[in-house]
Amino acid sequence: MNDQNYSLWEKFQEKWMSRRNLLRGAAGTVLGAGLARPKLVYARDEDDDSENGCVSPNPIPGGVAGLKPFGIFIHHNPLNPAKALADINDPSQITDFDGFVGLTHIRGGGTGKDLATGATTPLAFQADMGFSQGKFIGTDGRQHRGTLAFV
Amino acid sequence: MFQQIHDYNVHVDRNDVFWMIPVRHDAVEVDFDGQRARLRVRGMDAFDDHDLANSLSQGLGLPANPTATPPTPAIPGMFPVRAKVSFDVEWNGALATAEIENSAQHFKGTFLSTATTIVWSAEQPGFQFQSDNPPDPEANLISVLGREKNGVFFS
Repeated sequence: MNDQNYSLWEKFQEKWMSRRNLLRGAAGTVLGAGLARPKLVYARDEDDDSENGCVSPNPIPGGVAGLKPFGIFIHHNPLNPAKALADINDPSQITDFDGFVGLTHIRGGGTGKDLATGATTPLAFQADMGFSQGKFIGTDGRQHRGTLAFV
Repeated sequence: MFQQIHDYNVHVDRNDVFWMIPVRHDAVEVDFDGQRARLRVRGMDAFDDHDLANSLSQGLGLPANPTATPPTPAIPGMFPVRAKVSFDVEWNGALATAEIENSAQHFKGTFLSTATTIVWSAEQPGFQFQSDNPPDPEANLISVLGREKNGVFFS
């Protein structure tokens, strides 16, 4: 948990992008550690399409420089509610792609539960979720068919 | 005043694809002409990076930025926690439709702005979350469903 203030978080939300995340009105403790870049991981619901295999697609060349001025570029175009549909940027995260794409930017509420004490807390969330389903050219240069979730 | 306390995602893959993960083909159902789609996954392995800054900085946190307006404090690095997430997202009903051909970004297709709902849950050591069910249909900020081609399929 961290004690960042809302204005900073709000800045992240409004200027760059957001993820499925939980918010609440209380400070927490802080832990610190580094993290190496992870490898591609697969969900339990791994695609059983034999054409898909474990070949990764390629990212779209564009995106946004999230967390300016720290230079963290992400290959994703966050949806902007203020922008007309006809003016959206590519909603796909993968390139050389032909298929269906879904993307949502949504808020809501729910309940968090401390499994040690059983205490429950109402929480707010904001989520950016989506999917791509269709054919794509993978990192091996060959065409594949697959389904990917944006999580 | 809100503070972020969890941030669930599947991380950036080694090829820099942003937060995408293969799922079973039947995890996604699309009826594009019917203006509907559904994404359902149960028990997906994910990470809780605690906050967006640590998610994007891969757990390194961020230094303070005193030149920002307003100045932003440092965000300490955080180690991710393994979690399981389940979600059911439904895109349903077109609010607007657009045919787009964007030669600068090399993508084209038919896109719908839709109503959307989500029900999701997460579980990790010591904590679980369940979103409201039924979900609030007014919670959608913006959602898009598209049939598109990009990259080499653009031309």
